[in-house]
Amino acid sequence: MAVQSLELLYLLVRKDLKVRYKSSVLGYVWALANPLAFAFVYWVAFKYIMRVEMENYSLFLLTGIFPWFWLSMGVTHATRSYQNNASLVKKVRIPRAILPMSNVVQEMVHFVFALPVIMAFLVFAGGFELRASWLWQLPVLLLLQFAFAYAIALALATSNVYVHDIEHLVGLGFAMLFFVTPMVYPITMVPEELRGWFELNPLHALMDSWRGAFLAGSLDGATLAYAAGWAAALAMVAWLVYRRLAPGIGELL
Amino acid sequence: MTAALECRGVWKSYASRRIGLKTLLLGQRAARTSRYARRWALQDVSFEVSRGQAFGVLGANGMGKTTLLSVLLGIVQPERGSVSLRGRVASLLELGAGFHPELSGRDNLFLYGSILGMRRREVAERLRAIVEFSELGDAVEEPLRTYSAGMITRLGFSLMAHAPADVFLIDEVLAVGDARFQEKCRAHLLEFKRRNGTLVIVSHDMEALAALCDEGIRLDMGQVADAGRIGELIGRYQTQ
Repeated sequence: MAVQSLELLYLLVRKDLKVRYKSSVLGYVWALANPLAFAFVYWVAFKYIMRVEMENYSLFLLTGIFPWFWLSMGVTHATRSYQNNASLVKKVRIPRAILPMSNVVQEMVHFVFALPVIMAFLVFAGGFELRASWLWQLPVLLLLQFAFAYAIALALATSNVYVHDIEHLVGLGFAMLFFVTPMVYPITMVPEELRGWFELNPLHALMDSWRGAFLAGSLDGATLAYAAGWAAALAMVAWLVYRRLAPGIGELL
Repeated sequence: MTAALECRGVWKSYASRRIGLKTLLLGQRAARTSRYARRWALQDVSFEVSRGQAFGVLGANGMGKTTLLSVLLGIVQPERGSVSLRGRVASLLELGAGFHPELSGRDNLFLYGSILGMRRREVAERLRAIVEFSELGDAVEEPLRTYSAGMITRLGFSLMAHAPADVFLIDEVLAVGDARFQEKCRAHLLEFKRRNGTLVIVSHDMEALAALCDEGIRLDMGQVADAGRIGELIGRYQTQ
C-alpha cells in the first residue's frame, strides 16, 4: 500500500476517534465501559446465578470479551462503511478498500488502549504476573485478528452495497456466534457429541488463542495455524468479492 | 499539442441495479417509463482535450453530464469505450466530500487533501497559501460546524486550487462565495490553464463557461448533440 493511502487511513481513523470522543466528557472511558459492563452482566448471570464451576471465571470472560468487541464492532460498523461514506465513493477517487479498513483499525485502536486495563485485572484480580512472552504473542494475535476481521469486513461491506439485508444479518450473526463461539462458558461444558462441531468454528480458535496468551502465556500452534488458515481463506474470498463487486458500487450508492 | 484527456466511444448504461432479498425472492417488477428510464446514460461519447485547454460540458439536468465526469474520474466504469487521462487528476464533483463538521478547518484541510490524493507534507507546505486564498483567517482553527455555507465552499475550493494536478474536473462548483471571490477563482483557473493545466467543467453558468473554456460539447439524452468552439456552442444552445 502506498504511503499516501496509509496517510489517508491514519487521517480517517483519527477523524473518527476525535469526533467520537470530542463531545463526551468521559471520552476514553466509554471505550472501556461497554465490554466491561457486558463482562459484569455475564459474570452476575453465569457465576452468581447459574453457578458455572470454573476457576478465574471473571478473567475468562474479560480476556475474551475485549477481543470479541473489537471483532464484532469493527465488522458491524465496516459493513455500512460505504453507505456512511457515500460521498467519498461517488465524488472522489480514493482506494475504496480503505473505508472498511478504517473501521476495523479504529476498533483495534480501542482494543490496544484497553490492553493495560486487561493486564491490570490479570495482576490485581487474578494474581497473575505480567509476562515477557506477551511481547511477541500479543502482536501475533493482533495481526491475525486484524487479517481475520478485515477480510470479513471488506467482503461484507462490498456486498452490502448490492444486498442491503446483509447489515441486518451481521448483527444477528454476531449475537448468535457470541454464544456458539463460546464466549460466556468454557467449551468443555459443551456435550461431547457436539463439541467437535463447536471446535470447527474459527472464531473459537481465535478467542481461545487470546485466552491462552493472557491466562497461560502460551499459544497453541495447531489452534493458531487453524485460525491463520481460515484468515487466509477469508482473505482470498474477500479479495475475489472485492475485485468483482467494488467497481460497480459507485453507481449504486 | 498532446491530448491530456481522451474519451473514446464511451457507453454507460443504467442497467445495474441494487437488489434486496425481497427482489431476489419475489422477482423484479420493472415498469420504468420516465425519460430518465432510458437504457443508456451515455451513448458513444467521444472527445479529446489538449493540454492547457478548458473543455465545457453543457446540457439540461439529467442529460448525463455528471455521469460523464464520474466516468472520466474512474468512479464509474463504462460498458464500452475508454478514457485516458495523462497526469495527476484533482476532482471537484462535490465541494467538501469528506469534510466533517466537528473537525477544525485546518484538520479538514489535511483530511480532504489526503482524500484528493495529496500527501500530508504537500498540504502542510501549501497550508499558508491555502488559508490566505480562502480568506478565512483565524476561523480556520474553529470547527467546521461554525462556518457559513460560503466559508465551507471557500475552504474546499482553496484546497483544490492548490492541489498539485495536471487535470481538474469540476462539476457545478464555480458559484463559490460572493462575486469578488468568484472572480478570484476564475482568475486562478485561467492562471492554471496558462501553466498548461487542463480543465473539464460542467456548469449551467454560461457566462463562466464562456469566460473559461475553449471548446465543449452539449449532451442530450446521453449523446453528443453538438460540439465546437464554446462561444458558438453556447449561442446555438441558447437559441435552440
